[in-house]
Amino acid sequence: MSAHPTLASVIRSEWIKFRSVRSSIMGVAITFVLTIGIGALITASIRTHWSAHPAAHIGFDPVTTSLGGTLFAQFAVGVIGALFVTSEYSSGSIRATFAATPRRVEVVLAKLVVLVGSLLVVSEVAVFVTFLMGQAIYAGVVPTASLSTPTVLRAVLFGGLYLTLLGIIGMALGWLLRQSAACISVFTSLILVLPIVTFLLPSSWQNTIGRFEPSTLGQSMESVSPPAHAFSAGASLLVLALYAAVLMAVAAAALTRRDA
Amino acid sequence: MIAIEHLTKRYRTTVAVDDLDLVVQPGVVTGFLGPNGSGKSTTMRVIMGLDRPSRGRATVNGQPYHDLRDPLREVGALLEAKAVNPGRSARNHLRALAASNKIPYSRVDEVLEFVGLASVATKRVGDFSLGMGQRLGIAAALLGDPGVLLFDEPVNGLDPEGIRWIRDLFRSLAAEGRTVFVSSHLMSEMAVTADQIIVIGRGHLITQGSVSDLTAAAKGAVVVRGNDRERLERVLRAAGATVEIVNDDALRVGELTAEAVGQLAFDEGVVLFELTPERASLEEVYMTLTAGAVEYGSGAS
Repeated sequence: MSAHPTLASVIRSEWIKFRSVRSSIMGVAITFVLTIGIGALITASIRTHWSAHPAAHIGFDPVTTSLGGTLFAQFAVGVIGALFVTSEYSSGSIRATFAATPRRVEVVLAKLVVLVGSLLVVSEVAVFVTFLMGQAIYAGVVPTASLSTPTVLRAVLFGGLYLTLLGIIGMALGWLLRQSAACISVFTSLILVLPIVTFLLPSSWQNTIGRFEPSTLGQSMESVSPPAHAFSAGASLLVLALYAAVLMAVAAAALTRRDA
Repeated sequence: MIAIEHLTKRYRTTVAVDDLDLVVQPGVVTGFLGPNGSGKSTTMRVIMGLDRPSRGRATVNGQPYHDLRDPLREVGALLEAKAVNPGRSARNHLRALAASNKIPYSRVDEVLEFVGLASVATKRVGDFSLGMGQRLGIAAALLGDPGVLLFDEPVNGLDPEGIRWIRDLFRSLAAEGRTVFVSSHLMSEMAVTADQIIVIGRGHLITQGSVSDLTAAAKGAVVVRGNDRERLERVLRAAGATVEIVNDDALRVGELTAEAVGQLAFDEGVVLFELTPERASLEEVYMTLTAGAVEYGSGAS
C-alpha cells in the first residue's frame, strides 16, 4: 500500500489519544524518574564505596553504570507501549477507532509513529541527563567518561534507542494479546525470566543463546565495550530492531484478519 | 442505504447470522428486532467492517465499509455505550475521532451541545452515568453529519426524557432523508419509533415490512354477530374459515377478512348486528414470530 493521504490525520488522532490519558503521562514521568533517579542512586553509591573496593576498579565502565536506571525504566516503556493499545480493547473504544479508520494497518502505523516519536524524545533526554548527572557525581573520585569519545556517545545514544525499541515490543504484544495483564506478564518474562532459564542451561548453550536475549542486547548497546560472548553494539541494535519489526508485522497481519 | 446479501457469520461453534438478506432504505426509521442473541449486534458489526463475514457481504451506499474514505462522514454508529477510555474527556474522545476523518473541531463542540453534554465536555468519561455515556455515543455517531446511522440498543440506560428525545431525534434524522437503522429487543419501543420493521431470530430473517403490514399479516380474527348464528357458521365453514362460538349469537372467525365475512353474510341473507376485526398488537405479533427463535428462553412460556 502506498502512502495513503489520510495517514497524517490518523497520526493526529492517535497523538490526541496518547496525550489525553493519564497512563501515558504517568508512564513518561515514571520513565524519567526511574532512569534518572536510579542512575543517581547507583552512581552516588559507587562514589561512596569507591576507595573501599579497589577490586571493582578493574574493567569499570562509567557509562554503563550511569545508565543503570534503564534496567528499571525498560518496564515503564514496555507498559506505555502495551497500554496505548490494550486500553482501547479494555474500554471497547477500539471499535470506534476501527470504524473511523477501517484500514487497520493505518491505525497500527499511526500508533507506532506516535509511540516512537514520543519515546525517542523521552528516552534520549532521560539517558543523556542521567549520563551527565552520573559523570558529575563521579567527578573527582571515580573515573569519568566524556561524550566527545565516539564509543561513549554511541553507548548513551543506544541506551535511548534500547528503551524506544522495548516500547515498540510492548506495543506489538498489546496488539497480539489485547489484555494489559497478559502483555505485562509476557514482557516481564522476556526481560527477566528468559535470562534465568538460559542460566540453567549448559554453559556452551548459555553463550550461544544468551546473546539473543533482549537484556543482553541492551547491555551490549549501553556499554563502551560489549560483554564477553555478546554481539557488538551495532549488531545488538539490529537484532533488537529486527525483533520489534517482526513482532509488529505479525501483529499487523493478525489484526487485519481478526474480528475487532 | 444499507444492503446485506447472503450474510453468514460463524463464530467457533455458533452461527450468529445465517444467510441474511436485508435492505435498509433512507428516509425512514427502520427497527431491527430480535430476541437477545439473535444476531442483531453481529449484523451491525459486519456492516461497520468490524467483524468479517464468513460468507456474503454488507455494503453502505453501495460500497463495502472498508472502501469508504473518511467513513465517519458517511456512516455514524452507536454500537456500545461508554466504549471510551474512562480517563479521557468527552471532548478529547470526539476530537480524536474528528481528527482521523478531517472533521473540524468546531463540529465537536456542536454535537456536544446538541446532545446536552457541553457542560461536562472536559470531564473524564469514567465519571459519566450510563445515560451520559449513551449521549456521548450518539454525539460520536452524529460527528461526521453522516447520511447513514446505526444505533444498537440506543435506549438502554436513558431516562424517560432521554427516550423521548432520542425518538424525536430518529424521526428528524429520517425526515432529513437519512438512513436510520435502530436495533432493539423491545417491540413496544420500536412500535412507537420505527416506520419499517425487520425481525430476526437465530440469525434468520423472520419477517420485514411496515408496522401496519406486520399487524395486518398477523392472524387477526373477526367477531361477527347476526340474526342466524347456525346458518352463518355453516357458510363460513364452507368458505374455509375457522369458527369459534363465542356465545348464543356471536362467532369468532379466523382465516377470513371482515370484508369476506360481511359479503358471505349478505349473500346468505343473514342480518349482521356486529362485524369487528380483532387486530393483534404488534407486541403479540412479535412474540408469536420469535417464539421459536429465543436462544435463552425462560423455560416455561
